[in-house]
Amino acid sequence: MTAVVDLPVAERRPRNRSSAIWAAFAVPGVGWLIAFFVVSVYAVTAVAFGAVDPLLKTAQPQWNPFAWDFDAMSRIVDRVLHGDLGQVFARTGAYIALALGGCILIGYPVAYFAARVVKRRRGLLMAALVLPFWISYLMRMLAWTNLLQPDGYVNKVLRFLHLMDEPRNWLNGDSYTVVIGLIYGYVPFFILPLFASLERLDGRLIEAGRDLGASAFQTFRRVTLPLSVPGLMAASVITILPMAGDYYTNTYLTSGSPKTTMVGNQIEFFLQRSSQPQSGASLVLLLMACLFVLMMYYLVITIRQQRAAER
Amino acid sequence: MRSSRRDFLARSAQLGVALGAGVPLLQSCADNGKKSVNNKTIADGLEPEKGPLRIVNYDSYVNPDVLADFEAKYGVKTELTTIFSDTEVVTKIASGAIKVDVQHSMANTSIGNMIAGGLLQPLNKSYIPNFANVISNFNDPFYDPGAKYSVPYTFFGTGIGYRTDRIDPADVEAQGWDTIWNATDFAGEVSVLDDEREALVMAMMRRGLFDVNTVDPEVINQALADITELIDLVSVKVNIEAYKDIPEGTTSIAQTWSADLIASAAGYLPEGVSNDVLGFWHPPAGEYVVTNDSMGVLADAEHPVLAHLYLNYLLDNDVSEKNFTWVGYLPALSKLDADYLINAGYVPEHLRNCVPTQEEIDNGLVFKQLDVDGEALYEEAWSKFNAGG
Repeated sequence: MTAVVDLPVAERRPRNRSSAIWAAFAVPGVGWLIAFFVVSVYAVTAVAFGAVDPLLKTAQPQWNPFAWDFDAMSRIVDRVLHGDLGQVFARTGAYIALALGGCILIGYPVAYFAARVVKRRRGLLMAALVLPFWISYLMRMLAWTNLLQPDGYVNKVLRFLHLMDEPRNWLNGDSYTVVIGLIYGYVPFFILPLFASLERLDGRLIEAGRDLGASAFQTFRRVTLPLSVPGLMAASVITILPMAGDYYTNTYLTSGSPKTTMVGNQIEFFLQRSSQPQSGASLVLLLMACLFVLMMYYLVITIRQQRAAER
Repeated sequence: MRSSRRDFLARSAQLGVALGAGVPLLQSCADNGKKSVNNKTIADGLEPEKGPLRIVNYDSYVNPDVLADFEAKYGVKTELTTIFSDTEVVTKIASGAIKVDVQHSMANTSIGNMIAGGLLQPLNKSYIPNFANVISNFNDPFYDPGAKYSVPYTFFGTGIGYRTDRIDPADVEAQGWDTIWNATDFAGEVSVLDDEREALVMAMMRRGLFDVNTVDPEVINQALADITELIDLVSVKVNIEAYKDIPEGTTSIAQTWSADLIASAAGYLPEGVSNDVLGFWHPPAGEYVVTNDSMGVLADAEHPVLAHLYLNYLLDNDVSEKNFTWVGYLPALSKLDADYLINAGYVPEHLRNCVPTQEEIDNGLVFKQLDVDGEALYEEAWSKFNAGG
């Protein structure tokens, strides 16, 4: 800063102008955040603590915080802490954890292979990974319902391989089916950011590890894996967030079984099909609070790693 | 460096706020369009507008060929918006999220509120001479006295659809609603309607309670406990897909609407499977919920004359018959009774009971609209059931 102050005025001006131009670059982003995050979250809050039109059942948001009505929120919180909605949150968390585990098991080797092993035709491989995005998510889930039917190909293959005697009804409110669906649906979201992170990994560090006598596994465990933690974290965040709000994967794959209801289903019910939008908005806020804790954890880890790298 | 970044963010935030993005959004959200009952009817003898005619309806609930025929006849385009639930469409119309001319499928439980809320316009029947074709019960329905704001579209009863090749029809007849609770051999192949009133009332009727509009918390909680048993007993599914799941074989027993079985027979059986595998049971007249969907013209319709002509078109016997062959839901027209539909080959004789008789319509139990507190009781119970009990 002192160096800038010491410069002649004529030299300072262009720098100030350019910093204003750079600041202007952030305007669309900030405008977007205000319109579609700050205002939207406040609107959801106003609905959660507002009323409902007794005739048409439309939400009547309460914009004045001093007139907020906390009834719906306290009912929902009570159901989360002491009743049935607690198990819905726990179930949603368990599905996400299992699906994330599946994404790591499947996605990490694929991303590593694409980023570090493949030298030629890497673009082709990445195109292949993105290919499922060309088909609508719902279409892909509907395809799974055909595959998982009692006389579907999944059962046929499992029986052909003698892994199963009787055909299993995978669509019978089966939690595994929902987890499989979530993994299938979200694994490309997991692979892409991880690939980008692994590709930037400094190869000389791995070579150094090997040169210093570490085995391939030791090098992976002590060099590659720690260096890929930021990528893993980013990929996890990108997959966890949409999974937390998912409500169609289980709806399609278990024909609406109450055994597999996720938080998203309850939000959808209250907001789209009930006369209690306040309850739906309260659930949205609670889910956001849970995700906010996760995001804070992610930010703390990322900042710590950044500081460690700067040292 | 740190201070310059802070400056940068502060300046950007100031610019963003200066855009004023939040204010108009908040104002638009606050506008809930307060209205009162609409008494303005369109004048007689007006020329139809040029269109396009905007319609809101459930998916697959009107024959696309019927829409195409209407377009050809009046030289206009139609635009169809699809919705998932009655509550959703009322909310979206009331908030202005969707703007249409015709609400194609209004539930009895919402028409009264739509009228009181000024969302519908009174119909000018001079544009709808085909209203004379309607079954007389719908000339003066409980939800719209004098049928001033609505005309009936389809009607149907609630019962049990099942596979006759898997369960003996005599057993279903003997057990009635208990069939669903006793279907432990068919775990994972049993479903109930994804509708809180239908499903909870079924549990009440199983216990011999026929006040289908009760708001007694004890009765509703008992019904909740009863349907919650189905989660463990039969791994119950909750959907409105029985029309295809029963013929395809993924569901063996389902609480469903009578029209679903007609649709199943018409178009969802796998090749080589006879419609004999489809069966339907319903409670006797007086204990049988018979309900209907209705069409109406919205108060702020941009093409109200065309909308009236559309309603008239759908009530034409031939058009309605063509629509029925694709939709499978019974038109509320007196000519298209069970005998006519069976003789024409649209309904198999063994599914005759899917067409409610005059006695069943006369004595049908009907869902009436509840106040917000009453609805909340059902919705709360439904949310708890869907959470897993």
